Amino acid sequence: MTIRIDRRHFLMGSSALIAAGAAGISPAFAQAERLRLLFWGGQARADRTYAVTDLYQAAKGTDVEGEFLAWNDYWPKLATQTAGGNAPDIIQMDYRYIVEYAQRNAIAPLDEFVGGALKLDDFDADQLEGGKVDGSLYGISLGANSVALMVNTTAFEEAGVAAPTRDLTYDEIMAMGEAFNSANVRGGMKVIMDGSGSEPMLDNWLRQKGLALYTADGKLGFDADAMTEWFQLWSQMREAGVCVSAEDQALDTGPHETTMLVLGKAAMMPSNSNQLVGFQAVMQDDITISSYPRLAAGVGGGHYRKPSMFFSVAGSSANKEAAAEFLSFFVNDPEAAAVLGVERGIPCSAAVRDAIAPTLSEQDQIALNFVANLGDLLGPLPPSPPAAAGEIDISLLRTLSQEVGFGARSPEDAGPYFVKEATAILNRA
Amino acid sequence: MTARSLQSGAPARERAATPSIWSRIWQNDAPGYLFLLPWLIGFIGLTVGPMVTSLYLSFTDFDLLTSPDWVGADNYIRMFTNDAKFWTSMRVTMFFVIFSVPLKLAFALAVAMLLNRGIRGLPLYRALFYLPSLLGASVAIAILWRQIFAGDGLVNKLLLLVGIEGPSWISNPQYSLWTLIVLSIWQFGSPMIIFLAGLRQIPTDMYEAASLDGASKWRQFIKITLPLLTPVVFFNAIIQTIEAFKSFTPAFIISGGTGNPINSTLFYTLYLYQEAFAFFRMGYASALAWVLLAVVGVFTAFSFFTSKYWVHYDE
Repeated sequence: MTIRIDRRHFLMGSSALIAAGAAGISPAFAQAERLRLLFWGGQARADRTYAVTDLYQAAKGTDVEGEFLAWNDYWPKLATQTAGGNAPDIIQMDYRYIVEYAQRNAIAPLDEFVGGALKLDDFDADQLEGGKVDGSLYGISLGANSVALMVNTTAFEEAGVAAPTRDLTYDEIMAMGEAFNSANVRGGMKVIMDGSGSEPMLDNWLRQKGLALYTADGKLGFDADAMTEWFQLWSQMREAGVCVSAEDQALDTGPHETTMLVLGKAAMMPSNSNQLVGFQAVMQDDITISSYPRLAAGVGGGHYRKPSMFFSVAGSSANKEAAAEFLSFFVNDPEAAAVLGVERGIPCSAAVRDAIAPTLSEQDQIALNFVANLGDLLGPLPPSPPAAAGEIDISLLRTLSQEVGFGARSPEDAGPYFVKEATAILNRA
Repeated sequence: MTARSLQSGAPARERAATPSIWSRIWQNDAPGYLFLLPWLIGFIGLTVGPMVTSLYLSFTDFDLLTSPDWVGADNYIRMFTNDAKFWTSMRVTMFFVIFSVPLKLAFALAVAMLLNRGIRGLPLYRALFYLPSLLGASVAIAILWRQIFAGDGLVNKLLLLVGIEGPSWISNPQYSLWTLIVLSIWQFGSPMIIFLAGLRQIPTDMYEAASLDGASKWRQFIKITLPLLTPVVFFNAIIQTIEAFKSFTPAFIISGGTGNPINSTLFYTLYLYQEAFAFFRMGYASALAWVLLAVVGVFTAFSFFTSKYWVHYDE
C-alpha cells in the first residue's frame, strides 16, 4: 500500500501546519497572572525558592514560574533576555550590577508600590538604602550578609592551635602558620589560602586603612603604594609557607569543590557569612566562621553588612504590581521565611527574624549571630562598585596575584601596574 | 501546430508552452526548494543572519542592554594597537595550533600504520581508539583531565613510583598549556580513521616491488606511503588546524573560564567569550570573531597555495 500526496495537498497541509503553529504561540502572550522569576544559585536555594512560589500559588493563586542558573551562566542569560525584550518579571540582582541595570531602565523603580503592594514597614534601613540607585528603590534586599573567614576547626584542633577569634590580626596569622607547619597537619596543610587575589579581602584590608576599593564616583580608592604593600604582605606569607603555594592556589577556579578549604590545603579562607551552610554541606570537618583579620589589634571598620542579593522587577515587565506583591510576600510572610531560613542572608525584617530564630539550624544560628554582632568590625556600607569592577577583579587582580605568586612580577612592580591597568579599564567602560 | 495539438488543452500547459524563465524555474524547481526550505531557513536564520549582524556589531559599541553605537573601525584599531590581552590570547592559540596539530597528525598516522597491518580484532581497536574523539571535547573529559593532571592526580602518582615529584601540571603556567595540547593529541581518532582509509588505498604491489628492490621499511614509508598519502595529510591538516583555532571547551573548563594561571591558557576563543559574556562588550567580541575568521582564512589559503608543491594527486 502506498500513500500518495500530491503537491497541492502537501502545500495546503504544510501551510495549515504553520498556521496552527502560529496560533499555538499567540495565546502565551495573553496570560496576565503568571510571573517569571530568574535567579542564580544551587539546588538548595532552588528547593527553598520553589517551596515559596508554591506557597504563593496556594495563597494568592498567582503562578510564579522560576528558573535558576549558576552565577557564571546567570549574567549572560539575563543580559541576553533583557536585550531580546524578554526579561523575566522578577530578577535576582547583585550589588555589583544594580546600578548598571537601573541606569539603563532594565529594572524598574519600586517606590510607587511601597506601602501598597510592597510592605516594608519594619525593613532594616541600611538594607533598604543598599537597594537604592540615585535615590529610587530598585532592589529589595533578600538578606544581610558580611564577608567572613571560613575556619576549619577540626584542622585547628589537630594542629594544637587555638581557633581564631574576632580579634585575629595578620601578624597572628604568621605565628599560626608557623605552628601549623611545625605540627605538619595532614601532610602540609597551610593555615590560610593565598588571599592576594581575593577582592573582598583586599577591600576589607583597604577599609581598615581608611581607604576604599572604589570611590563614590567610580574611581580607584587607593594608590600604587597601598597595592604594593598588599602584594608584599602576601609574598611574605607565601615565602614563610604560611599561606598555600601559587601552584596550589591556581587550582581554585571558583566552585566550592576547587577551593583550598575543601581540597584540604588550607584551614582558613575568605568567603561570605551565608556560605557557611554551603561549605559545611561538602565537608567532613567542622566549619565555623570568624571575621577577616585586623591590620593590628583594635583596628576595625573593614566589614559591612551588605545586601547579599536583591529581587528587582524588570523595566519591561507588564505585571510590575503583581511582581511587587510577590516580593512583599517573599520578604514578609512568616511561612515563606521559615522555608527560606538564612540561605540568602539574614532576613531584613525584624518581625521575620524573631519568627524564624527558634527554628534555625546550628550553622544558620552561627551566621545570624556573626552578622548581628560585628560590633567595632562594622564600617559604613561602601558605594556600589563601578560597572568595570568585575573585569578588574577577574582579568586583573586574580591574574596579577598569580604573576606575583609564581614570581613573574615583583610586588613593587605589581602595585603600580595594577593601578595603571585598573584606571585604563575604568576609563574605557 | 501539430506539436501543439499533441499536448492536452489544459490552461496550465498553454502557459508552459510560452514560458517565462521564472515560471519555468518555479514549476521545475519549487518542490526542490520546498524540500530545501527547512535547511535554508536554518542556514539564513541561524548562520547567515547572525554573521551579518555580528559584522555590523563589530563596528559598534554594544553592551546588550542599550542599543549599539556606531564607532567605525575603533574596535579593530584598539585590538591591534592597544590591547595586550589580544596579543596574549593570539600567542596562546598560535602556540596551541603549531604544536597540537602536527603532533596530533603524527600520532594519528602512527596509530593508523599500526592498525593497517591486518591485525585481528581491528574493528574493536579502531572503535577504542576513536572513542576519545567522541568524548574529548566534552565537559566530563575536561573535568577528568583536571583530576589526572592536578598536583595529587594520577600522573604525579605514577611519576612518584619512579621517584619523580611532579608539579601541579594544570595550575602551573609553565605546563598548563601543554596539558591541553596532550588532551588534544589524545583525541587523534578522526584523523586516524581518515589516515587508515588513505593507507588502504595505496596499492600493495608498490610495496612488493619496493621490497624486491631491497628498499627498507623506512624508505618505503618515505618514498611510497607519505607521497601517496599527501592528499589525506592535507585534508587532515586543514580540518585539524581549523578545529584547533576554534578549540574552547577544554580551556574553559580546566581554567574555570579564566584562562589562568597567568593567562597561560587564555585561548583566543576564551578571550572572545570573556569579552562578550563576562564583560558584555558584544561589539568588541564580534570584531575579535571576525579577526579570527580572517586568520583561519589566511592559514587555510596559505595551505592551499603551498599544497601544489607537496600534495601529490595520483592521476
